[in-house]
Amino acid sequence: MAEIELKTAPGDYRFPTTNQSRHCFTRYVEFHRCVAAKGDDASECDKFAKFYRSLCPGEWVDRWNEQRENGVFPGPL
Amino acid sequence: MIESQRHSYHLVDPSPWPISGSLGALATTVGGVMYMHSFQGGATLLSLGLIFILYTMFVWWRDVLRESTLEGHHTKVVQLGPRYGFILFIVSEVMFLFALFRASSHSSLAPTVEIGGIWPPKGIAVLDPREIPFLNTLIPLSSGAAVTWAHHAILAGKEKRAVYALVATVSLALVFTAFQGMEYYQAPPTISDSIYGSTFFLATGFHGFHVIIGTLFSIICGIRQYLGHLTKEHHVGFEAAAWYWHFVDVVRLFPFVSIYWWGGI
Repeated sequence: MAEIELKTAPGDYRFPTTNQSRHCFTRYVEFHRCVAAKGDDASECDKFAKFYRSLCPGEWVDRWNEQRENGVFPGPL
Repeated sequence: MIESQRHSYHLVDPSPWPISGSLGALATTVGGVMYMHSFQGGATLLSLGLIFILYTMFVWWRDVLRESTLEGHHTKVVQLGPRYGFILFIVSEVMFLFALFRASSHSSLAPTVEIGGIWPPKGIAVLDPREIPFLNTLIPLSSGAAVTWAHHAILAGKEKRAVYALVATVSLALVFTAFQGMEYYQAPPTISDSIYGSTFFLATGFHGFHVIIGTLFSIICGIRQYLGHLTKEHHVGFEAAAWYWHFVDVVRLFPFVSIYWWGGI
């Protein structure tokens, strides 16, 4: 039986507080900046996707995706 | 009556102005709430209340002026009262404006996720701090220098020169207000444009409101100086106006440095 490895995003010194909202948001922005710079299938960006997906509530990601589609996402993309 | 008085304190005569001011404040509050909730007669009651307060301010200060300038009740020891009172008033004003700048710093030092974690928020076109904002910091400071010139003229007994200095003080104040009005008119953001617009207009707007109050105060001092009310030894009203004016021009440095400059680049 293969072991399933469960992992969340590693601790990040930029976000030392218990509240990790900003950590989630920053990883989401970093993922999209990475994809914008290196292309859609760049494997370097996968880790950012894993990080934000494990940190962010699903509704937030849905809302930000919608905002990006409409061109009203407020973050520094 | 003066002859029988064996102390230098001022025992004031009964006056209708405290109760008239209170009724004016009551009408203003109730009228304001009614107006904001679209009740019939709200605007009328609000206007009546404001007129009542303005009338009370006029007649009350007129009475104080008569008691001090014409009847000589403001002895050295009586002058301490308005001095301490005015200093405490300015301290409370400093705390009020501090709260507004604190609101701005709170929102800008660690911008929330909702505004993208950046300051100024995306899409907010900020003003260049080196243009009108910088000029409009130098103008109140120069006006503060002019009021010091007026103070020295009063202490030296140069009555005409004190009037000129106060005219210079007030002129610079009016130029400031005109530039600030122009800046507001031309500024791309409005007060409803995110937390940036809210904090920017709240802080600079209340500062501007205080400049207008200080300008009126200086105008009154100029008129009283012209009428010969202020003497070398006795000019508490002028001193209070000068303190107030310095408070207003020093306070301008805070929005300039933290809102226009640091928050706008």
